[in-house]
Amino acid sequence: MELYLPIAELPMNVFILIGMGAAIGFLSGMFGVGGGFLLTPLLIFSGISPAVAVASVSSQIVANSASGMLAYIRKKTVDFKLGSFLLVSGIAGSGLGVLVYSLLLKVGQLDLVIALCYVGFLGTIGALMLVESTRALIAQKRGTQLPVKRPGQHGWMQKLPLRVRFERSRLYISVFPVIGLGVMIGFLGALLGIGGGFIMVPALIYLLRVPTTIVIGTTLMQTLGTMAFTTLMQASANQTVDVILGLCLMVGGVVGAQFGARVGQSLRGETLRLLLGLLVLAVGVRFAVDLIVTPTEIYSLSGTGGAS
Amino acid sequence: MTALRLLALVVLTLLPGIARAENLVTALSSDRVAITSNFTGSQVTIFGTVERDAQTISRNGDYHLVVTLSGPPRTIVARRKDRTAGIWLNRESEKLRSVPSFLSISTTAPMPDVASVGVRARLGLGFDMLPINDPPGPLPPIRTDFDGAFIRLMQQQKLFALKEGGVEFLSPQLFRSQVDLPANVPVGWYTATVYLFSGGVLLSRTSEDFNIRKTGFEQFVTDAAHQQPVAYGFATVLIACLTGWLAGVLFRRD
Repeated sequence: MELYLPIAELPMNVFILIGMGAAIGFLSGMFGVGGGFLLTPLLIFSGISPAVAVASVSSQIVANSASGMLAYIRKKTVDFKLGSFLLVSGIAGSGLGVLVYSLLLKVGQLDLVIALCYVGFLGTIGALMLVESTRALIAQKRGTQLPVKRPGQHGWMQKLPLRVRFERSRLYISVFPVIGLGVMIGFLGALLGIGGGFIMVPALIYLLRVPTTIVIGTTLMQTLGTMAFTTLMQASANQTVDVILGLCLMVGGVVGAQFGARVGQSLRGETLRLLLGLLVLAVGVRFAVDLIVTPTEIYSLSGTGGAS
Repeated sequence: MTALRLLALVVLTLLPGIARAENLVTALSSDRVAITSNFTGSQVTIFGTVERDAQTISRNGDYHLVVTLSGPPRTIVARRKDRTAGIWLNRESEKLRSVPSFLSISTTAPMPDVASVGVRARLGLGFDMLPINDPPGPLPPIRTDFDGAFIRLMQQQKLFALKEGGVEFLSPQLFRSQVDLPANVPVGWYTATVYLFSGGVLLSRTSEDFNIRKTGFEQFVTDAAHQQPVAYGFATVLIACLTGWLAGVLFRRD
């Protein structure tokens, strides 16, 4: 069933859109990440302009993180104080991101910056996760235990001023790394149309040493807030949010996420991280190849879409 | 003044031996194309007749027709990627001011048989003569690489199309041309122009305007996004939260 998308200004098959949302939702439920880093490139590949894709995916991430967060609130594993700190700084970063986005769109280098960011972030994080999970798996096979780093050992971060106590996460740290992380994730979210969960989760675990049980719920709270703000900003500044496109993706996404979460719970943590690492790395490599290999078409047009 | 003109007209028409050129009468199958939620492209047909009477001079060549359908003008930026430090990135660009966002050209015969390069250049008729950033002149326009790429990419996106033989004569005077509007057709005002040639000379031309616009729900959403962007944004976030909440409740497992 073809449906004309009013803002994207082209018809798309509803079932394909819902299916895409469901497939990505499944993966996101399984790994506990938003999945924007997969969905946005997929939409651009289907012929939707990058501007509309990035803006509309942000609304889908709102739906996904809202349904996810609900479950974590029931389990009482959300650190609202830490989440609020991340959220406020995330919104500041998001505002900055939308501005930079509009600027890059004008200069014509948006595609390049998006590709470079994808290569840089996905490549690095994918590789790190892959190495870490492989080592954990090997150690398990041999029956040895990896040396466990005790919480609270993060050298220079301990010396920063303005420390705040986060009771729920049992942390007493400076606000600067927290705010820095929030701003960065918000900025990238607006610029790349990603929730940033795949950056936030490892950063909270490895950098800030937040207990793993608290991490996902808190990340979802931050994602929900920042992406809601990003959707608002994209709608008012660029008018590129397609609510119909967003709704199709949401419906597929939230349903897919439920099934993904069930599969995810039956897999071991290390295996899950290994698979996610591979997935993230693969997307990063795909963008890197596009940058290096001689393109078949070196010309491009902008301003042909209805949104411009 | 008006009376004088009328008199002159009457005198002119009554004067014997003054040859009159053919007159074109054209009509569109519809003056409005509505984009609804099930829009997957459409068609518009241009009909017309070549009117002539006893005083019209006889021609030894056949009639040739060119029907163009031109979409709302847009400013488009064409960019070229170059390899810099090992990666491909957009470097040079050219701004193409008010070029048609859609252009369909249908003819009765291959372009060279219809009119000479000089005639077409002056009219800006044909993709090779389409004026870009310069008004049409007696010589074919000088094309930059960007202009060429623009025309090629627009053809790839099916927004530019040339149909030689796309105008058919139903009788010696009655003709018809059917133009496909692809699913990604830009919205706005379109102009259909019919050119009548004989022996490489332009005899007559007429234009008709029509509108391609979203209607109903599609129009409502677009209006909301552009006129009430903040409310539209809030509504989208609200819908997203509701969808998420609903899924969370429906799939609750405890």
